Amino acid sequence: MWAYVINLAVLISINAILAVTLNFILGYAGIFSIAHALFFGVGAYTATFVAMKFGAGFLTATAAGMALAALISLALALPALRVRGEYFVAASLGLQMLAITIFTEWKSVTGGIGGLTNIPAAKFFGFELSQPGHYLILSLICLGLVLLIMRALVRSSFGRSLKAIRDDETAAWAYGKNVAVIKTTAVVVSSALAAVAGSLYAFYLSFINVESFVLETSIQLMAMVIIGGTATLVGPLIGTVLILLLPAALSYLPYLPVTEIGSIQQIAYGLAMVLLMIYRPGGLWGFQETPKSREGGSP
Amino acid sequence: MLLLQLLVNGLQLGAIYALTAVGFSLIFGATKIFHVAHGAAFTIAGYLFWWGVATVHLPWPVAALLATVAAVVFGLMMERVVYRPIQRHEASFFTVFIAAFGVQIIVQNLIGMIFGRSFVSVTTSLSRSVEVLPGLFIAPVAVISILVALAFFTVLTLYLARTHMGMAMRALSENPDLVRVFGLDPARVSQYAFAIGSAIVVPGAILTSMTAGLNPAIGAHVMLISLAATIVGGIGSLRGAAYGGMLLGLAENLALWILDPQWSEAVTFVVLFLFIIFKPSGFLGRPLGAK
Repeated sequence: MWAYVINLAVLISINAILAVTLNFILGYAGIFSIAHALFFGVGAYTATFVAMKFGAGFLTATAAGMALAALISLALALPALRVRGEYFVAASLGLQMLAITIFTEWKSVTGGIGGLTNIPAAKFFGFELSQPGHYLILSLICLGLVLLIMRALVRSSFGRSLKAIRDDETAAWAYGKNVAVIKTTAVVVSSALAAVAGSLYAFYLSFINVESFVLETSIQLMAMVIIGGTATLVGPLIGTVLILLLPAALSYLPYLPVTEIGSIQQIAYGLAMVLLMIYRPGGLWGFQETPKSREGGSP
Repeated sequence: MLLLQLLVNGLQLGAIYALTAVGFSLIFGATKIFHVAHGAAFTIAGYLFWWGVATVHLPWPVAALLATVAAVVFGLMMERVVYRPIQRHEASFFTVFIAAFGVQIIVQNLIGMIFGRSFVSVTTSLSRSVEVLPGLFIAPVAVISILVALAFFTVLTLYLARTHMGMAMRALSENPDLVRVFGLDPARVSQYAFAIGSAIVVPGAILTSMTAGLNPAIGAHVMLISLAATIVGGIGSLRGAAYGGMLLGLAENLALWILDPQWSEAVTFVVLFLFIIFKPSGFLGRPLGAK
């Protein structure tokens, strides 16, 4: 029972890092990326590669993943600077699909569909993390750090510029904000921190394959942010817990046929997305309709 | 000869892509709704046709009619039950996107539970390839695909240009307020757009069930292709979407000349990505103004 709870807690912490970093660009910068799983994957594969080839410890491996994710994120920043709305969603979709093909086909590095197994345990200043409990502590520390960084950034002048750009890019630009630099920085920071989650995930499971970094993962992360509430620090955490506990809760329900349980979980999750968007589009924790938008809302 | 064979395969696939992309583009153009559950209508239509023909042994026109009714009902339900309530509160396009994706997930899993998760296909004599030239195999269904795509596209173009509702649909994409002033109900025009846009996926779904086959996850693929074709062709242009679909079908097949088949989907998305970076208005779309 304890093992089950710890496992769930580690996965929640890792996903929370992803949701919080995605919220940074989605909620605060208005960059609707559905390629977040790409950076999760880059972090995981790079950390694994560095650890298996050079015997690197957790910090080095994670740093390598972050560096590569930051570099690749420039490919996401480029469309973010040029197009908005549906066009950007489509561009990030293109990157995500491309990444899936590369993760699957670059067999010498990613192990193809079969993935990489026997990833060594994470080393941390000579201490080997062998117990799931160790990983829970490490994940919680990482999540805490990511939350602190996000909080500091959001409350700084950088965060205010970001929100200004989200609300009216032209006005922010006219006010002398360097829109290109601010947006690119946001994407790079978010992607690099997402790679931390990838590294944690790889070391914790000691097995990764492309299944964890597909489009569905990106959509699920997006759902966590949106269901919890965008542009808040707590919202994505709530969303993550809800989305990850839902399947766990469903598997305790009696009368459900075992073979269909996966599908039923998926249907429940799809239904939650639809109903929330209809009845509470601001998310559970997020701001609801402001009085101002209500006034202007009805034709 | 390989090149010619790939070209023929590309035209056949491109015709099917063009049909679904035109449906997506019609809905997006008229209603500004990013209908990512479009692929779900395709899945529903394809599976009902397959079920009608292969399991219940209905004559194929009856099965096709069944598929069309199901696709249209699905499109109308989406507009009525999902999109319209969301749009009541000034929702961003992203809210619509998430909800539609939720529907896509629901449909994919329901189909998997009802009809099974493996590949299914309708076998007919039409999908048997004939050697036309030495080394060049063409199945009758390839010719049918291209002809059907042309026919549907012509009818749709005429409908939009000549009929009252067609004109209203084009007007709605230009200026919804003016449509209202003119005494037309935009909600009703939207419903027509959804009905026609969803119905037009049916030939593509039927042809796919006879060629490549169906699986429950095919909707996501169809949605991605429609979206890519619409953007590559230029948002707001039906002709652009049709060309975009054709281009992606050709690119996917011609890429096989130098690449392994598993890269074909990547080719589609590289094309899409490059278009968005360098020519976001697509090749027939109106230039994008800074919003």
